[in-house]
Amino acid sequence: MFSEEEIVKMHRERATLIGNAVLISFAIILARLSYLQILKGEQLYRWSLQNRLRKEVVRAPRGMVYERNQELLVDNVPRFDAVITPQYLKDRKKTLKKLAHILEMKVEDIEQILKQNAYQAKYKSVLIKKNISRKEVTIIETENSKVPGASVETFISREYLDKEVGAHLLGYISEIQEQQLDRYRKRDNIRYKSGDFIGQFGLEEQMDFDLRGTDGHEFVEVDALGRKKIHRGSDYFIGGVKGKPVVPGHNLKLTIDRHLQQTGYEALDQKMGSVVALDIHTGEILAMISRPSFDPSRFSRGISSKNWDVISNDSTHPLRNRTTQEHYPPGSTFKVIAAIAGLEEGLIDEKTEYYCPGKFKSGRRMFHCWKKFGHQRVNLQRALRESCNIYFYKMSTLLGIDTLAKYAFSFGFGKKTGIALPREVSGLIPTREWKLKKSGQKWQRGETLSCVIGQSYILASPLQIAQMFAAVANGGKLYRPYFVQEVFTNSGKILKRFEPTLKSKLTLKKKTMRFVRKSLFEVANHPKGTAYFRRGVGIEMAGKTGTSQVMRLDADSLYEKCEELPLKERRHGIFGAFAPYHDPKIAVAAVIEHGCSGSKSAAPVVEKLITAYMKKYHPKKHEKIKRRERGRSQKTATL
Amino acid sequence: MQFAFLQILKKYDTSFFIIASAIFLIGILNLYSGTHMDSNMTLANLYKRQLILYLFAILVGLLISFIRPKALYRYSYAIYIFNIILLALVLWVGDKGMGAKRWLVMGPIRIQPSELMKISVILALARWYSGHGSGTPLNLKGLIIPFIMAAIPAIMIIIEPDLGTGLIILIAFAVISFYRNLKLKTMAILFILALVGGTTMYNFGLEEYQRKRIVSFLDPAADLKGSGYNAHQSKIAIGSGQLFGKGFKKSSQASLNYLPENHTDFVFSVFNEEHGFFGSLVLIILYIVLFFRFIWLSSAVVNLYESIIAIGIMSLFFSHTIINISMTIGLLPIVGLPLPLMSYGGSNLLTFGIGLGMATGISNSRILF
Repeated sequence: MFSEEEIVKMHRERATLIGNAVLISFAIILARLSYLQILKGEQLYRWSLQNRLRKEVVRAPRGMVYERNQELLVDNVPRFDAVITPQYLKDRKKTLKKLAHILEMKVEDIEQILKQNAYQAKYKSVLIKKNISRKEVTIIETENSKVPGASVETFISREYLDKEVGAHLLGYISEIQEQQLDRYRKRDNIRYKSGDFIGQFGLEEQMDFDLRGTDGHEFVEVDALGRKKIHRGSDYFIGGVKGKPVVPGHNLKLTIDRHLQQTGYEALDQKMGSVVALDIHTGEILAMISRPSFDPSRFSRGISSKNWDVISNDSTHPLRNRTTQEHYPPGSTFKVIAAIAGLEEGLIDEKTEYYCPGKFKSGRRMFHCWKKFGHQRVNLQRALRESCNIYFYKMSTLLGIDTLAKYAFSFGFGKKTGIALPREVSGLIPTREWKLKKSGQKWQRGETLSCVIGQSYILASPLQIAQMFAAVANGGKLYRPYFVQEVFTNSGKILKRFEPTLKSKLTLKKKTMRFVRKSLFEVANHPKGTAYFRRGVGIEMAGKTGTSQVMRLDADSLYEKCEELPLKERRHGIFGAFAPYHDPKIAVAAVIEHGCSGSKSAAPVVEKLITAYMKKYHPKKHEKIKRRERGRSQKTATL
Repeated sequence: MQFAFLQILKKYDTSFFIIASAIFLIGILNLYSGTHMDSNMTLANLYKRQLILYLFAILVGLLISFIRPKALYRYSYAIYIFNIILLALVLWVGDKGMGAKRWLVMGPIRIQPSELMKISVILALARWYSGHGSGTPLNLKGLIIPFIMAAIPAIMIIIEPDLGTGLIILIAFAVISFYRNLKLKTMAILFILALVGGTTMYNFGLEEYQRKRIVSFLDPAADLKGSGYNAHQSKIAIGSGQLFGKGFKKSSQASLNYLPENHTDFVFSVFNEEHGFFGSLVLIILYIVLFFRFIWLSSAVVNLYESIIAIGIMSLFFSHTIINISMTIGLLPIVGLPLPLMSYGGSNLLTFGIGLGMATGISNSRILF
């Protein structure tokens, strides 16, 4: 046994040992602290800075697009999305319940969306609701701490104010594709990167380099929940410590007129077809409409693959710009070229007459006029006015295909117009050489007969047809069609100005041109002209109708009522014109697919467009012509 | 009695409360710094609540300091058994908070019996050891009953599950037994037993999240955003403080929520980020002074019961401190124990207040009698 004193001593020894253990423990802790804070301190300090600053890319806004009268066509509109970042979901149930309440959604629906996106990385946000209202944005932002994991993302949406109108000209933007990236990076390595949105069609594609700005970045202070830090009492974000400023894209001013676009769009209505209007003295495009169309804004947020399949597999091809990406046999509108060729080559003059019995035999094949029993005796003026085929058949036997082709080329057919739109077609003008190369066969005389009235191999885009009418109207000058007038910065500084480009000037006899113009005026203004009933009021339209055969027709079906045929077999209706006759300003061409006749389907579209143009840009002249026309009709009445 | 009360007041030992209040002062400033920026208003106003809770804990401690050690001795087992019943109630009808049953709700009063158990176990063990074979070195046989007394509540608490508090009780048992002349041979045997027991418990007795914490402790880089995240961010916070710290209210890790639980488990990280190595040196010295005050008290009293209580309470403070700090600096897995007088939390403040009161009471009685 131990004495009391010994016992106390023993306990004191133990207490000392415990005290030593306490000291040793803290010595270990201090050693560890000096390791972390002194040895590794600097490195960990750097880490703590990186921890809190997150580099965020700031997307450069694309340039705005204005029409010729400064009206906005394409705008950037901020849109807000509610998103959930699964990584930051602390209390899943609570956040979902609260968010569902704010967004007026069902918890199950949000759960479903999250499940669908469960495969992607946890730090990536999942879109819960697109385009939420400002009110919803405010609630989510202020209740941030109550809904950890939920946040608002801003998205600058490219919006096309006129939706379907002019979609083909303006184009659309969407995310850059893998195979495009290489190509674009060769042009500009800095401004193009994976995930960018680029112009994929139309103006957006062609002018992408000007429209897109240069992305910047900023450093934003974020907490471990990925939330941007908000100072209490205000919605001021800390951030922008040191970043790279954004350079916004350049703005464009077009030659397009918004009102004419609208007019053209409405005039085409539900028909498949297109219309294009040019300023004949500059080549400026005033209107360019193709239908069926699409709303380009739908692409701006990334279109779903399902919707893309629907739109790209649509048999009516809504994504095709029918004014430049589609070509048709120009039909009788091509007779303008044939007439000019005949006159210029001296094969015929304005007095030359041919007899039209309604049919014409060449070799073993019988060719027909659209008028079954013929026009009887016709001169060139009547042949153009009433669109007699036989006159041109007969003339073509003297002309030959290569001479016809020479004149067609000089009016811009058979090659691209050079408009700054991607994937323009060149159309087709056949020659003997071309046919030999293509099929190894010799040219046949009968083929010239079809070509002279704009059928068979001959193909032309509506823009080419308009270009021809512009050249006829201005005396043979071929301008490159264009639609971008100016490139300018946000501060209004003009960077580039596009001037009219004269591609070529034809040396034609004045007499020829005057005669052709007069004949075309009669098409719409002589009671027997094919477009007399579409002549409009106060526009002095001069034009030519055309019908383009969809398939080779035999003699009987030629006279069948086109409207009774199945849609696919109906002929395309074409009309090209310039106006006003006495001082031409505008050239317009329209093609209505399966519209049967040029005068019935295409001419009204052209007439409406020209009327709108005259009213807006030349109201005085419009009134003057109206008065003159009224006087003339009164004279006719009194006679 | 009147005379004794006045005498107590005259010679009252304020040292415990003064040292503790010094640490608490640092703690509440640190708490303010770590939470005042939070967008959550309850969190931002946490320091005010903490102050009130501390004042309450001190008041309770003061009252307890007037209880004579002899009275405590008499009621030691009763308090222990009552506490065991409360623990059983928790397991039966307890309120769940943070995924564990820890709370007993009785109207407006919410108590955490596991917190009180830390004190009760010390009282029971002190009474047992002071009454059985005092003076003889402790052998394995003498350990059996005290071990059962500690193991029953420890297991009940681990089942809640609250591994940290359970461990604290077992550590208190170990420290007290060591103090009570545990034979070195017995200690060696126990060490082996603990090793075997620990392995078995890891494999069969731990919840998945507890096991994860241990794994992430061993390899924190494995999953930075997962279970190793807390430990990693805490280390960044502490290290980035360097020698002198970023300054008061300048903790980026804490104010930006990189530190989870920066008002409870990770207050030490916030403190270190802001005050650096030298700041923590001051804090650690204060803790050492407090612990040595307890050890000194245990050596100064002749009564074994009283000196065991002093050592026991010291072990409570010490094990909390050392485990909490070790986990924030990556020396131990994260077990979720508060740092005494620094972390936010009413229950543990109350426990420490009671502990301080008891030690003061013992100190006062030594002078008196």
